[in-house]
Formats: sequence, C-alpha cells, structure tokens
Amino acid sequence: MRALRFERSLPRYAAARVAGSLAPGAGARVGPLELVDVDPPALPGPGWQRVRPRLAGICGSDLATVDGRSSRYFEPVVSFPFVPGHEVVGALEDGSRVVLEAVLACAARGVDPPCRGCAAGDTDRCERLAFGHLEPGLQTGYCTATGGGWSEGLVAHASQLHLVPDALSDEAAVMVEPTACAVHAALAAPAAGGVTAVLGCGTLGLCAVAGLRRLATPGTLVAVAKHPDQRRLAAELGADVVVAPAEAQRAIRRATGSLQVGAHLTGGAEVVLDCLGSSASLAESLRLVRPGGVVVLVGMPASVTVDLTSLWQRQVRIQGSYAYGREARPDGGEARTFAMALDLVAEADLGRLVSAFYPLASYREAIDHAANAGRRGAVKVAFDLRGERGR
Amino acid sequence: MSPLERGARALARPGFVLEVDRSTPPVLFHAGEGFRLERLPVGSRVVYPGEPRAPLADPDAAVRHALEHPLGECEPLSALLRPGMRLTIAFDDVSLPLPPMRRPDNRQRVIEAVLDLAAGAGVDDVVLIAALGLHRRMTEAELRHAIGDRVYDAFAPDGRLTQHDAEDPENLVVVGHTDEGELVELNRRAAESDLLVYVNINLVAMDGGHKSTGCGLTTYASLRHHHNVHTLEQSRSLMDHPRSALHRSNWRMGRLLADAGIKVFQVETTLNTDTFPRPFSFLQTREWEWSARERASYLATKRALDLAPGGLVRPVFQRIEAPHAMTSVQAGEVEAVHAATLAEVFRQQAVAVEGQADVLTMGLPYICPYNVNSVMNPLLVMCLGLGYFFNLYRGRPLVREGGVVIMTHPTPWEFHPVHHPSYIDFFEQVLSQTTDPAEIEAKYEADFATDEWYRHLYRTSYAYHGVHPFYMWYWGAHALDHLAPGGVIIVGGDPRAVRRMGFKPASTLRDGLEMAEDIVGRDPAVTHLHCPPLLVADVT
Amino acid sequence: MRVRPPFPLGPPTWPTGVPRRPDPPRTGVHYDTAWSRRLPARLARALVVDDVLRPAVRLLGWPRVEGVERLEGLAGPVIFAPNHSSHLDTPLVLTSLPERFRHKAVVAAAADYFFPSRARAAVSALAIGAIPMERTRVNRASADLAADLLGRGWNLVIFPEGGRSPDGWGQDFRGGVAYLALRCGVAVVPVHVSGTRRVLRRGRALPTPVGEPYGRGPGLRVRFDQPLRPAPEDNARRFGARIESAVAALADEASSDWWSARCRAAAGRTPAMTGPVAAPWRRAWALDEGRRPAGTAPPWP
Repeated sequence: MRALRFERSLPRYAAARVAGSLAPGAGARVGPLELVDVDPPALPGPGWQRVRPRLAGICGSDLATVDGRSSRYFEPVVSFPFVPGHEVVGALEDGSRVVLEAVLACAARGVDPPCRGCAAGDTDRCERLAFGHLEPGLQTGYCTATGGGWSEGLVAHASQLHLVPDALSDEAAVMVEPTACAVHAALAAPAAGGVTAVLGCGTLGLCAVAGLRRLATPGTLVAVAKHPDQRRLAAELGADVVVAPAEAQRAIRRATGSLQVGAHLTGGAEVVLDCLGSSASLAESLRLVRPGGVVVLVGMPASVTVDLTSLWQRQVRIQGSYAYGREARPDGGEARTFAMALDLVAEADLGRLVSAFYPLASYREAIDHAANAGRRGAVKVAFDLRGERGR
Repeated sequence: MSPLERGARALARPGFVLEVDRSTPPVLFHAGEGFRLERLPVGSRVVYPGEPRAPLADPDAAVRHALEHPLGECEPLSALLRPGMRLTIAFDDVSLPLPPMRRPDNRQRVIEAVLDLAAGAGVDDVVLIAALGLHRRMTEAELRHAIGDRVYDAFAPDGRLTQHDAEDPENLVVVGHTDEGELVELNRRAAESDLLVYVNINLVAMDGGHKSTGCGLTTYASLRHHHNVHTLEQSRSLMDHPRSALHRSNWRMGRLLADAGIKVFQVETTLNTDTFPRPFSFLQTREWEWSARERASYLATKRALDLAPGGLVRPVFQRIEAPHAMTSVQAGEVEAVHAATLAEVFRQQAVAVEGQADVLTMGLPYICPYNVNSVMNPLLVMCLGLGYFFNLYRGRPLVREGGVVIMTHPTPWEFHPVHHPSYIDFFEQVLSQTTDPAEIEAKYEADFATDEWYRHLYRTSYAYHGVHPFYMWYWGAHALDHLAPGGVIIVGGDPRAVRRMGFKPASTLRDGLEMAEDIVGRDPAVTHLHCPPLLVADVT
Repeated sequence: MRVRPPFPLGPPTWPTGVPRRPDPPRTGVHYDTAWSRRLPARLARALVVDDVLRPAVRLLGWPRVEGVERLEGLAGPVIFAPNHSSHLDTPLVLTSLPERFRHKAVVAAAADYFFPSRARAAVSALAIGAIPMERTRVNRASADLAADLLGRGWNLVIFPEGGRSPDGWGQDFRGGVAYLALRCGVAVVPVHVSGTRRVLRRGRALPTPVGEPYGRGPGLRVRFDQPLRPAPEDNARRFGARIESAVAALADEASSDWWSARCRAAAGRTPAMTGPVAAPWRRAWALDEGRRPAGTAPPWP
C-alpha cells in the first residue's frame, strides 16, 4: 500500500529545517517525508483492528514535524520510521466509519494495571507513552507500529475508536479530532464572565471559538485573527468581537475598561487561549491577560523566549493544553472529550472548515497549502484517500 | 508690509465664481500634504475666495483703542479694573488660527494690552485660561507661540496659566439650566471671577460670540446639548448663526451666564485670508495669474513632495506659519462685538453663488482645527470635508439635496497615538460596526465619554477627550443627511480607510466624476470650492 | 565593576575593633584652594579666561563694557561688587576686568553649589579662581580667607546679593562686602551687569545667545562705577548702603540714561533694585525684558 513515511535521516532532516525556515511547507520537498510503497502494518495484538482512512487532516504539529521545527522533547516518544496523520476518519473492515482518538495510552499499549492518568480516564496524561508492548509513540501518527492517517491503512486499538453517526459527513468527521483538542482547551480554564480572548484563528482557534460559545461561559469572546476569511468565520462561529492582531490590545482595553501602563493593560482578559504557540503570541497573550488570569497554551510551541516578568508580577498562570481526555460537562457529570466534540462538530457545522482535499500523490502541494492556509483563505487541508485503491 | 503691498491689499478683489471653459487652465486641488492640478469639465463653476484685505496699520494701537471704546452696553476696560479684583483672561486654543500665524499672535497683542492696563490698575489676582473645551492641552511651545514669551514667563511658573480641564470636578461649577433644560457648567475660576476677558480669533463665522465661553470653558454634560446629531442636522449652516441650532443653543447658554452675573468682556479679532507664505503663494493666486516664478515654485514643490519620504514632508507642512494679519478688533459686550466681527468676516470671505450644483468638489488641505502639529487621520478628513467645507455656505448648501461630494485627500490610515487615542478605537471598533451617526450616538457615545483611560489621557497627556471622535462624525451629519446615500467619494484616498467610513474610493477625479454620474445622472453640474483661502458662499 | 586591588597595592580596610577618627571634611567651605593660586594654576586659568571664556561670552552676548575709565589709576587690591542674576555673570565680569585685575582675582562662590565634591571644587577653583563662601551662616573661615587674600594683593569679585535673583529683580545686599572693605581698608567698585538673565536665567540649563548680530535685541552690558572708599565715620551698615545705592544708580543708568539717573540719584529718587511690591506677575511684567518698543511694528520676516 502507499503511504507517506517519515524516515530517520539526519541530513534530510537538516535540509528540511533549512527549507522550512525559508518557506513554510517547503520541508516536504527536501525532507525525510517520502511517498513509498510499504506493507500494511501488522496487528500488534488482540483488540486491534485495521482501519482504512477515508480523510486524513494535516495538523499544525504535522507541519512543524515536516519543516524540522518540532522540539527535541519528542525524540524519546516517537519511533522511526512513522507515517504521520492523526486526524483520521476511516472505515473498519465491516464498513462502519470511525474516528480515532490518536493518543496511544495504557489500554492500547497493554499496560496493566493502567497508570494513574489512564485509571482516572485522563488518557492525555498517560505516563506510559514509551512502554508496553508497543513501540514508543505518543499518538497514532508518531509510532512506527501503528501506521498513520496519511496512508491507505493503519491499525488502531478498540479503545481509540469512536463510531461516526451516519448523518455526519466525512468532512465533519475529520474535524472531530482537532475539535476535541479545542474543546479540551476551551474547558481547561473556565472564565465565568469577563473577557475571553482567542489568539490565532486557524483550525484550533476557530474550533475553540465554537467550543467556548457553546460549551462554556466565556463572557465577551474576543477573537484575534490575521486574515479576513478567518475573521469572517470567527464571527459566524460565535465570537462577539473580531479584530486584527494590531488592534487586539485596544479592543481588549475597551472591552474590559482597563487603563494602560507602558505596553501592558492594567486589567485584561480572564482567559487567553494562545492557539499559535510562538514567542510573539505568548508575549502578546501575557499582554492581554489580566492580573491573576490564565493563559492556556493550545498551539504546540517549540523553544520560545519570553520575558516572564509580567507573569510573575501579575501572578498569571500559563497552562498547557494537549490533546483530549475527559471533561466535566457544563451540566455536571463527565464525558469523553471526543464525544463532546462529535456533538459540537454537528451542532456548529464545523465540517465547513475543511477547505481543500488532495490525493496522497500531491502531498507537496497539500503541505504547501496547509502551511499557507490563512493567507490562501483556507482553514483545514486534508488528504482524500477515498479514491485510493487499497492493495 | 511695503506701501506697494499695502496698496495692493487695499484694492483686494472680492471672491467670485468662474465658469470653466476650454481656455481655463487646470485648477489647483489641495490633497493633504500635496496638491494636484485638475481639469474640470467645461461648464463647471469654481468658487474663488476674495483676495486678502489690508491689515491694520498699527494693530497694537487698534487693540488699545478697542479696549477703551467698547461696543454695546459696557464700560471701557480700564474702568472695569480695580485693585483687589479677581481677573480671568481666557483665550482660544491651538485650533485657531489655521495655519498658525506668525508671531506676534493676535492673542499675544490683546493679552499684553489687557495686562498693561491691569498692571497699571494694580490688579494682583490674574489667571489665564486656555479655553480648550474638550480639545487637547497645549504644549509649552504652543502656548508660547499663542500668548508670547513675556506673558508665558510671567504667569506659567506660578501656575497662573492654566488649561481648562473639563473633567476636574473640583474646578467646575453648575451655573444653571436654560429655558430648554440645557445644563450649563463652567470652569470655576471663570465663573467666580469679577471679570472674565475672553480673547478670540474669529477665523470663520462659526467662531466667537457666546460660543467662545459656551464651548471653551464648559464640560461634556453641557456640550452634549448641542454637540449631538439632531442639533447638527438642524444647523444650516454652521457659518450662519441665526440659522444654526448649535448657535441658538450656545446663545441661550451665553445669556444664562450673563443673567447669572458672570461678566464677560469679549475681545474679538479678525484675520485676512493671506494664508500661505511666499514659497507657497501659488496656493492663493488664481491659476491664470500665476507668474513664471509661481509656476516654477509649483513644479519644484510638487516634485519635491512626490520624491520625499512621508516623514520629511509632514514637518515641512506643519511648520508653515501663515502671514495672515489682524484686520479688525472689537471689544465689549458679547453680542454687539460679535455683530461687528461677523460683518468684517463676511466682508473678507463672502462670495455670491447662484444656484446649487449636482456635484461639489473640494481639495482638502493638510490641516484642520484638530491636527495642528499632528497627523490628519481619516476621521478628520471626513470632518474637514463634510463638516467644515460643506458648511461654508449661507442660504442653501452649494450642492443640491441628493447630490454628491467629491474630495481629494490621501486619507492615510494613520493616527497620532498621543493626540487622538480615542479616535483609533472609534475608527477600529465603532465604524466597523456602523457608520450611521444616530446609531453611533445611541450605542457608543456614553461608553467613550465616560471611559476612564481616555479621561486620564485628556487630563494628564495631550489627548482629545474620549467623546471627541464622535463630534467629528456628527459634524458631517448634516452633509450625510443632505447628500445621496453613497454620495461621498474620496479621490486618491487609502481604499481601506475610505471604505471603513462608508465612502467610495476613486483613483482620479475623472473616475470620481463617472462614479458620481451613476448617482446624479449624466452631465452633472459641478461646482469646485477653491478653498483654502477661506470663503463663505452666499448661495441663492 | 571596580575590584579593589589587594593591600598593599590598594588601600587597607579598617579592622572592626579599632576606633576610627572621622575624616576631616575636605569639601565645601573646607576645600583648600591654595594650589589654584600658585603659578602653574594661574597660568592655566589665564589661558581659560582669555582664550575660552572670553570668546564664549562674546559669542553668547556681544558684551559692551562701560566705565573702565573710572578705574584708571586705581591700584589693587580692589573688591568688585556686581549684581547677580545668572551664572553667566561671573565669566562676564571676569573677562571684562582690566588685565591688571583680571589675572590676580579670586571669586567668592557659594560653597554648597560650587564645592560640593572634590572634582567640582577643583574645576571651580581652576577655571575662575573661586574661593568657597558660606552663604547660609556667617563663617569665620571664609571671611578670614578673603581678608587674608586681600591683604596679599588679590582682588576679590563678590556678589553682595548672595545668590542669583529668582525673578529678575535685585535682592537685598548682605553685609559681608562692606565688612571686608572696612577690615582690609580696600576700595569697592560697584558693577552693574545687565542682559545675562536673557541668556541664561536661573533654572535653565542651556543658554540662548542675544545681541544685535543675531537680531535678538541689545547684548550684554557691564558698567563700572567710581571706586568707593569708606569714610572715617562709616560703619559696615552705612557703607553697605552706599554700595547698594551706587549699584542701583548704575541699574537706573542702564535702563534710562546717565543724566536722568544722576538727577534722580542726587534727589534720592533712584528706583530700588528690588522692584515693586506686587503679585509675582506684576513684578515680572515690570521688568524690561522682552518688551517691544510701543508703537513700532515688528519687522516681518
């Protein structure tokens, strides 16, 4: 079968890094990512099933990997060679459609008794990512044993699979995984009034806006988006105020009635969701959050340099938000994030955020489009594998 | 001034209306910090201002004379001054005159004459107030320019030169309510003085009279009674005070002040329209009378402006000091003085125009009352064009109802962050939601007027009050009401900024006229307002 | 970051147990200026005064010096008593003195302002030959030093007002000048300086040049009067009053003309240098600075 495979090759990785720093997405042309013919992955054990991907999305973390920008932190929890792709809607052998919780936790790894995180249901906090009978890999899409979404076949454990209702289209289904990340972030730090700001309106930011509006109490929801199409979608999905990045601090100043001292506001937003994860966005988040507020870091960062003096003096918390697990529901009780995401995708019609499809063979164009999505008026770019003939 | 120049001024020709034909040369249009020569269609009319009238030969003597021979029921100033009294002298702020005049300013002459009398009478308790209303505070350099170094150095070190603070509860008093329930609040020092001398420069017919104290020394709570959409839509025009609802309100407030026992000795001065110094004299000469030197001057200046980077051009323009000079001064009781002043203003500025046009074109200069030593942001472009220039009429507007206005100005999306902080938020956050003045007034004005940060900047920095951008928008409410929907076109402006204001951008005048034809029909009657220098059109 | 070199290269630290005498004060009034009156320093100062201060003062104010002929035949030592409104007064007076006085003169300068640190004290002593004078209290040391120097032939420039005028009008004269003149038996030359306040007034840091060549009105003026010697029956107070009225007469002369000033002086109607008793603005208004001559139109550029 055909798959996009990421090899362990230091020189090509270095080339990808250089190319990626010159033009986003250019790492796909010179880097370790290649379209190859391979045998489908073997089933690692009982409870595992074959999944044939129908649509597989390209995520910001995939782009960072392809361009050589991801942190060295991931080296021990990734096994080479791997097939990227963790945003998957696929078909089981019996034809039913499923979406994938990509995290490879204790259940998938056959670790018994499960670690503390998995025992409580917080699979995002699994402490056994490199253990068990599976190769190291924090998610499907970073593990050599499981395969990944950017191929014609992968294997998944029953604990990872969720059935997709018939009424939900493939486009909507492929948005479930990123929506789950966004829901997890939206519920990470409840705002209860005041102002909530979402910095960056790519896929994660827009899904976060939808999640905040429907599942939380964000108060006045301010979305900061660089591109006009993003701004339009943010307003449609429920943001109260949509601004360009240069206007963000002024809009938050007026929405919160703060004063200004130097470059900082005296007040600010209760919660700021940083869906970009760069030094600049983190610095901006610290400028927008009020004393005692929370910055939720949703976008995957790498090594960033930030002046933390304002964090110290204003007693601000920075909290990371990774993947998904379980959530406290707004009406009490608990639910899996994925289940809430399935509902949210249908309710907010998040399938419309899928902007373009590409076959595997056009992976360079696909990655280029995804890397420049904002500027080109797109949000989510996905591989369309429904036309591929399995072998 | 040389006798030759003085003779020429004495024969100053009045303004007139030119009918454009094939031999008419292209006409000069101001366009912010630049200008263009445009060919108007045959049959258009161009309204030219009058030439500058002769200034007073001895302005200081005229000032002294005016103080001793007041108009209306009023004693001479020397009789009103006695030792032990509390004297307050209020003066117009940096928004007048335009462009700033060469030293000595009219205010300096008048204030020095008043202080000479006060010193002779042994008055110790004297305070000077810059009557800026909700405008920004003046810098030291601007104050020194307006009132002179001698006055500044005698009063500023002791804190006896103050700037009106409309948000200082301890220095404001409620004087009362007019018959129509309008609240009148006044600067405390001004209200509690034995005599308030107001020193004004009546640049246009809108200024002066009871509007001086009514706007310059009051608060937002008082101003909202006449600085609102309804009143401004009923002010037709702002230069014609009997027909202006804004002025009627100010007159009611002024009479209330008089009835409350606040004695105002009004000193009003007028200027001729000698607006541009020698290197820019082509800007106030009729195009067919440009000498070879003026033509060369125009070409050289245009080339230099086109080549120079923006940062170098602005200081050149902002440093222009106009040679306009005092043409009259009168003092005494407010209404009598103002009647005499207005007669002089109209003698210089009135131009008779027959009939209205379908399309009114105007070239907007680089300066308006609210961007002296500052940046002309898009809101000020709108205010200057639709607020001031549109209102330079008596009788009927220059353009018919349902007509179109075409303005030339680069309209950069640029704001001065210190002078106009509330303007930035208004442009970004309010205009992106709606451009309808009534809706803006209802939904947003209260928020901006009471915002603590804007209040802090107004009181301690050099910022216009939080509500001021709203007034800029309301100033054009009469025009927006009168013109056709979508009937405002800005030629040469930044398209994003122009569209944000709900207007249409065009790249050339010809394109603008074609866009106007879509609204008013083919072959429209076009009138061009060749201003500055200032004029007032008496439209029949 | 200065690292102390270890003893004996650097100074030693004092052990805790041993009592330590406080160092004698060496700044302010206690600064020893004797070195600045020895030949090398005097040569350097002559260079500074003649080749640096003189051109600088000329560039800043185009000074006119009047009354030098009244000093003809006067042999030193002499006390010069000018009015004081600006830091520019000292270089102006020094550079206006005839040469025989100029190169053997000391200037009494405020100890707290000109001698606060050893570095600044050294500059004051070298550049203008300053000696520290206590101005808040009567200090025997400064008076003795001044008397001693006068006795040894040094001329003294001292401002009887004690400090610069805050508003342009004169302050009351202090008694030190008359006392010194009586004690040492030397003549006092009243001096009037005008225009320095327009160049550099109290409270400003940067000078603004004045003078005809710049089109900024009249330049600086220095006027010397006849030297005054104490009469046998004069005490310090009466002599001091004579000095003060002589300077006031010079001020009157500067603002009007010599003859009317003489007439007024003779009639005892010389206007006081301390100005009118009125509100600060009226005192400022009555100063002649910046006044345009009434009735003439200023030249348009």
